[in-house]
Amino acid sequence: MALRWSRVSPQLALTPALAITLVAFIGAIAWTIFMSFTRSRRFPEYFFDPAEWSRQYERLFKDDGWAIALKNLLVLGVGSFLAIVFGFILAAMIDREKRGEGFFRTIFLYPLAVSLIVTGVAWRWMFNPSFGLQNALHSIGLTWVNFDWLSRADTAMYGIILATVWQGAGFYMALMLSGLKSINSEIWNAARLDGVSFWRLYIEIIIPMMKFTFLTCAILMSLGVVKAYDIVVAMTNGGPGQATWVPAYFTINAYWVKSNLGYASAAAVIMLAITGLIFLPLVLLTAWRERAREARAT
Amino acid sequence: MSVADVSLRRAGEVPVERAPRFPRKPKGISGRSIAIIVFLTICAAFFCVPLYIIITTSFKTMEQVREGAIFSLPAPFTLDAWWSAWDTACSGIRCDGLKVGFWNSMAILFPSLILSIALSSVTGYALALWNVRWANTFLFVLFICAFVPFQIIMIPLIILSSGLKVYGTIWGIAIVHAVLAMPFLTLVFRNYYKGIPQEIMSAAMMDSGSFWRVFVEIILPMSGNILIVVLILQITSIWNDFLLGLTFGGLGTQPMSVVLANVVITTTGEAAYNENMAAALLTAIPPLFIYFVLGKFFVQGITAGAIKG
Amino acid sequence: MPRVQFEDIIKTYGRVTVLKNLDLEIDDGEFLVLLGPSGCGKTTLLNLLAGLLDVTAGRITIGERDVTDLDPKDRGLAMVFQSYALYPTKTVRGNLKFGLASQKIDGAEVDRRIAWAARMLQIEPLLDRKPAQLSGGQRQRVAIGRALVKKVGLFLFDEPLSNLDAKLRTEMRLEIKKLHDELKSTIVYVTHDQIEAMTMATKIAVMDGGVIQQFGTPDEIYSRPRNLFVAGFIGSPAMNLRAGKITNGGGTVTAALDGVTLDLGRYGFASQPADGQPIVVGLRPEHFGAPGQALADAAGTFSLPVQYTEKTGGDATGYLKFGDGLIAARIDPEQIGRFRQGDTVDVSFPQGKVHVFDAVSGARL
Repeated sequence: MALRWSRVSPQLALTPALAITLVAFIGAIAWTIFMSFTRSRRFPEYFFDPAEWSRQYERLFKDDGWAIALKNLLVLGVGSFLAIVFGFILAAMIDREKRGEGFFRTIFLYPLAVSLIVTGVAWRWMFNPSFGLQNALHSIGLTWVNFDWLSRADTAMYGIILATVWQGAGFYMALMLSGLKSINSEIWNAARLDGVSFWRLYIEIIIPMMKFTFLTCAILMSLGVVKAYDIVVAMTNGGPGQATWVPAYFTINAYWVKSNLGYASAAAVIMLAITGLIFLPLVLLTAWRERAREARAT
Repeated sequence: MSVADVSLRRAGEVPVERAPRFPRKPKGISGRSIAIIVFLTICAAFFCVPLYIIITTSFKTMEQVREGAIFSLPAPFTLDAWWSAWDTACSGIRCDGLKVGFWNSMAILFPSLILSIALSSVTGYALALWNVRWANTFLFVLFICAFVPFQIIMIPLIILSSGLKVYGTIWGIAIVHAVLAMPFLTLVFRNYYKGIPQEIMSAAMMDSGSFWRVFVEIILPMSGNILIVVLILQITSIWNDFLLGLTFGGLGTQPMSVVLANVVITTTGEAAYNENMAAALLTAIPPLFIYFVLGKFFVQGITAGAIKG
Repeated sequence: MPRVQFEDIIKTYGRVTVLKNLDLEIDDGEFLVLLGPSGCGKTTLLNLLAGLLDVTAGRITIGERDVTDLDPKDRGLAMVFQSYALYPTKTVRGNLKFGLASQKIDGAEVDRRIAWAARMLQIEPLLDRKPAQLSGGQRQRVAIGRALVKKVGLFLFDEPLSNLDAKLRTEMRLEIKKLHDELKSTIVYVTHDQIEAMTMATKIAVMDGGVIQQFGTPDEIYSRPRNLFVAGFIGSPAMNLRAGKITNGGGTVTAALDGVTLDLGRYGFASQPADGQPIVVGLRPEHFGAPGQALADAAGTFSLPVQYTEKTGGDATGYLKFGDGLIAARIDPEQIGRFRQGDTVDVSFPQGKVHVFDAVSGARL
């Protein structure tokens, strides 16, 4: 068969992307996984000892810092869920009351345009115990309010959650709003004619109709939580002590501060595994939606 | 069509000939609407408070900051903090302010915008509109790559970029940005190009059949909207990036967000909060400007991947 | 120049076979219409010829050239698409120009061809507009123009008129026919509309289920349908098809259907049918004689009650109750007002117009 440029040229054009995928993603992931089974410290060691393949992982799970990081990941995940709920409430309100839609949407979304470092720096200032919000509230007589969350180990994570919700709620609002808008307007009219109450309409009809949107939000949120790093650095830099360590912070710390490549790799592999666990439902969800779409088409 | 137009216009224009027999009171705003608007306004206040505090603090003197009235307006009003944040703020041992970071961010932004958009638009085009047998497999792999945490590929990328002698340079950061954005942007472009009617592509195959010529003459002119969306998405995400700049930036090549973090975190002695806030604002102004001017495209960008993903 | 030949074409998608061992030959200058219901494989066949799809097995030649493995642009043909597929960002001139993208010709020649095509299609005043500023009919002309400028001998049309309203469709039908007469080129035209096929084609290939059911001139297809599918598909209102039995005794062949006997004495059987053979008889509504008038060469006469009547301006059809179904018969619209539901009418059917098919194989006897 003759050489057909219509076959060759697109494949040639795909070569850079393919090379990047193979080297920078697949190859790099495989390399990191391999390193996590070696004794590599500052520099990579390519010797693999089957007898003690799991030494980095054993060390990792004995490490208090890692335990804190995992616990914080969970706390941050649960806390960030508030952003989804908050985002949905905002979207429902905006969608219900069309007045000022553009104005409110603009306000709720602007934190998303701001980097997490700036967000963190701003909230860090507001949480400042001597000159921040706490001081302002105390000075107007609300002396019982504690707003020095970041300086106490047991509340620092809540401070981070608050900043995360502030930054991210607008994103979920935007997703929810486009979900709400895609609901057939006849449903609202039918509900009005039937005299369905506000709460029943949302709980029994609208929320079930938006299950795809909710799932998408939840998965994106979880993936984002695993990656959380910037906000921690900007607000607490992991402190006080190790109180606000998260896996992403732990991994980078293990490489740059502890200079332990194998150890950092093992932590990164666990991060990948957690991502995979979250990712699995996303793949299933996509397949499910695809099937639902096909079922509707036939 | 035209008849309907005329009658519609008439309906609005012709004045009422006599007083209505059954006049109605204009509908007032309902209690529920008021409640919703009050609620939304309170929420809006929550979203605005940090911005208000940053802005006011950045114009205050340190004396006023130390008074602890965080909500008070700046008195006296001064731009000193802004100048020192831009020019003399110290990050670590260097006291050059944020201007170095600003120019670094600019220098990173343009090459990585061009690289990432060129790479992913061509890849998306090839995958969406040309017959490549392994396209679906490749798309699935890209889909997974788009969500992989950075830490799992960080160390090999550091080693690779050192090997290529770009580690610690502006170009190194720019290239890594393009590489990491490729899977996601490819999916965005691919989804957009899938929406181009099959027959247009068939016609182009019959008329030209050349991969590049069809791309440049037919497909690119049709991608105006998605190019703007991706451009804005990339500008904000490259500008706001911290981790890549931190990992791949060397001394003197760090982007603005890294310099900002250093200024704020590594202070010794009493922190200059007004300067910190001015520095934060300086860093946030470019993406905020884009957001308030081109908000529609920004929203499309951040939701594009999520909804279709 | 282009004699198009399909040889033993097979096209499958996964486990679904769309075209089964298809052979077809199109002579130079022919206007071939591929006609069939949706999903019959006609568009697939066209796309295979265009090179937009690849055959699973088989060979396609144009002229003396085997084009099976060539890219669309190298096959020396031009195509007009159903949705016109105009490039939205280019002007009409740009669209026509891009039609020549794969041909290496100088600028003067490009301009000459664009001017020629624009004059031919009367789109000269539109040359600097964008497709969005054109009406449906104008877009159609531009799409044809983009094919014309290529100056090839073979044009493909994929249901080009289906997006136009009825009046424009009639106009464009004539226009395309005129183009064919002027250019003397070969045209392969896909449609599901039998009026288009009957009015424009010099040859029709009726397709169903990935197989060519009949290939012939419009007249042949209409007057001698090869099988039940073609018989039922061509003609509007559709041919009446009734199950019956052959009676072959003493040299006189008759068909018995639901109490009516049809004389098939002058029917040109391919081979003598057996006595008692189950058949399907086809009677076109337009061939019935006027009600109440016995035809001289009648094969038989039906005496049936009227169920309802239908008038479409210059034409009218009576639906008569026959057995447990209906028989449609064309009736003079002047007269149809006389008939009410339940009235019994006598209509006779002429001998030469009866179609007889084998009930089992569906083939014409």
